[in-house]
Amino acid sequence: MSGGIARGRLAEERKAWRKNHPHGFVAKPETMADGTVNLMIWHCTIPGKQGTDWEGGYFPLTLHFSEDYPSKPPKCKFPQGFFHPNVYPSGTVCLSILNEDSGWRPAITVKQILVGIQDLLDQPNPADPAQTDGYHLFIQDPTEYKRRVRLQAKQYPPIV
Amino acid sequence: MASEDGSGGNSPGQAAPAPPEWNPAPAAGSGCGDVEEDPQFQCCVCLDLLYKPVVIACGHMSCFWCVHKAMHVIRESHCAVCRQPYKHFPSICQLLHHLLIKLEPVEYKRREKEVLEDEKRVDTYSPQIIEFLNFRSNNCEIDGENRPEESNSQSSAEHLKKVKLEDVSCALCKELLYQPAVLNCGHVYCMSCLSSLDDGALECKVCGGLHPGDVPNVCLDLDHFIEEYFPVEYDLKREKIQLLKGECNIKGSSSGTSSTKEGGGRASKKENFALKDDDLSDVHIGVGCDSCGVYPIRGKRYRCKDCTELIGFDLCEECYNTKSKLPGRFNQHHTPDHRMELDNSALLHRIMRLQGIHEEGPGGVIIGEFVAPGAVVHVIPDDLEELEDMGEEDQLL
Repeated sequence: MSGGIARGRLAEERKAWRKNHPHGFVAKPETMADGTVNLMIWHCTIPGKQGTDWEGGYFPLTLHFSEDYPSKPPKCKFPQGFFHPNVYPSGTVCLSILNEDSGWRPAITVKQILVGIQDLLDQPNPADPAQTDGYHLFIQDPTEYKRRVRLQAKQYPPIV
Repeated sequence: MASEDGSGGNSPGQAAPAPPEWNPAPAAGSGCGDVEEDPQFQCCVCLDLLYKPVVIACGHMSCFWCVHKAMHVIRESHCAVCRQPYKHFPSICQLLHHLLIKLEPVEYKRREKEVLEDEKRVDTYSPQIIEFLNFRSNNCEIDGENRPEESNSQSSAEHLKKVKLEDVSCALCKELLYQPAVLNCGHVYCMSCLSSLDDGALECKVCGGLHPGDVPNVCLDLDHFIEEYFPVEYDLKREKIQLLKGECNIKGSSSGTSSTKEGGGRASKKENFALKDDDLSDVHIGVGCDSCGVYPIRGKRYRCKDCTELIGFDLCEECYNTKSKLPGRFNQHHTPDHRMELDNSALLHRIMRLQGIHEEGPGGVIIGEFVAPGAVVHVIPDDLEELEDMGEEDQLL
């Protein structure tokens, strides 16, 4: 069926987000050079949670939706080399709710994805490492891990 | 930008949908139906108002097309909300359909128009003739015309005019539905009434259709609606049911939210399925049964030689042998005098041979989940797709 419902669903997601979304978060579809909106790629910002080492950071995340969305989850990417045990070197987030074969359900909304990733930042899952750097420090050197997280938060100040 | 308290307490992936709020910056051109529909009748897949709702055995509902398009063409499918596996594409729940016509006449009409346009584009239609006893009164039409476009606050008093008790009554006891559960055929019963029916095979008392699998779960969205809409009657019914339960201690689940029955008679069929799950060679890719709704068909598949619709008309072996009288799931004009023939063209191993791919055994192939009716199925070996995936991932940065 040509295209399926991906675009319709994303238009509804956009509507729902504009009506109401969690504080500090940003999520908007990409605007092309000619001014048209590409609903299949969203540029988002996830704020580090208050009271954690991630506080103060506003981390850019890109959601890549496929035509099979919402049957298949979007691919969620931080910038390349992002420091976190569950983020691949390419920046792709490894999270159960984003895995089609384990936790993904078409009922999960963009809002839930972003809040889920915010939670993941401070609560990494050591059972599912995606990069060596972040994983080894998290396991072996908590002090250095903390320092790196805080450093990274400073690298992503709020966009005013 | 709307702002609210810090979202500290949210658990991952479980944030509840926030209540609709006043929108300080309405989108330009919001005239085209940006109405605050009842969020409880929102489809969790397209996030729009439910249209031709289908209720899966787990009790969750989506639009007809949202369910069908998301069903897996080779394996069992999973609920969009709870991931519970299911094999049958249920029929449209006509009770909910008519309820929505009454509750949201304007929005439902808009959905009907939109969906029909999509259907015309692919020349495949959802069931168009939906008659529901005698409840198709005209006053819903009038209602729709009289109602102003803006529907900021719909008081429950206004609601009360639209839906009547008999619109949400049980197919068996004819009273107000209490903990409603929807069978595969789309007919709705109180959970307590279903339990009283359950002796071996679960057969619908309205259409005679056999319900595959265990007793379905309560459709909680409908249950909550009824509880809110008819609070007094609902309480009365609850008391009555509890009294009955106390008296004769009916066997069955007390909570009703999940079916605890094992259903001895049907368990054997289930096991059969589980055993066969490893071997997918008898699966008819993307072909469903127009009678019981099983999707995809496994084993023998009978295809109508006379139906001209693009999607065709197919029956599984069981339904072929029982000579079903149902019209078809996609508005086909199938009649009993049509000729049926055994068809193996959509069998997995045949398609693989056609594409020159060796049979790799279980899990060896991944097939695009959205297959247009009659479209070519692309078979991609597992590792190949993974490679592609990786390449794509690298390119993106």
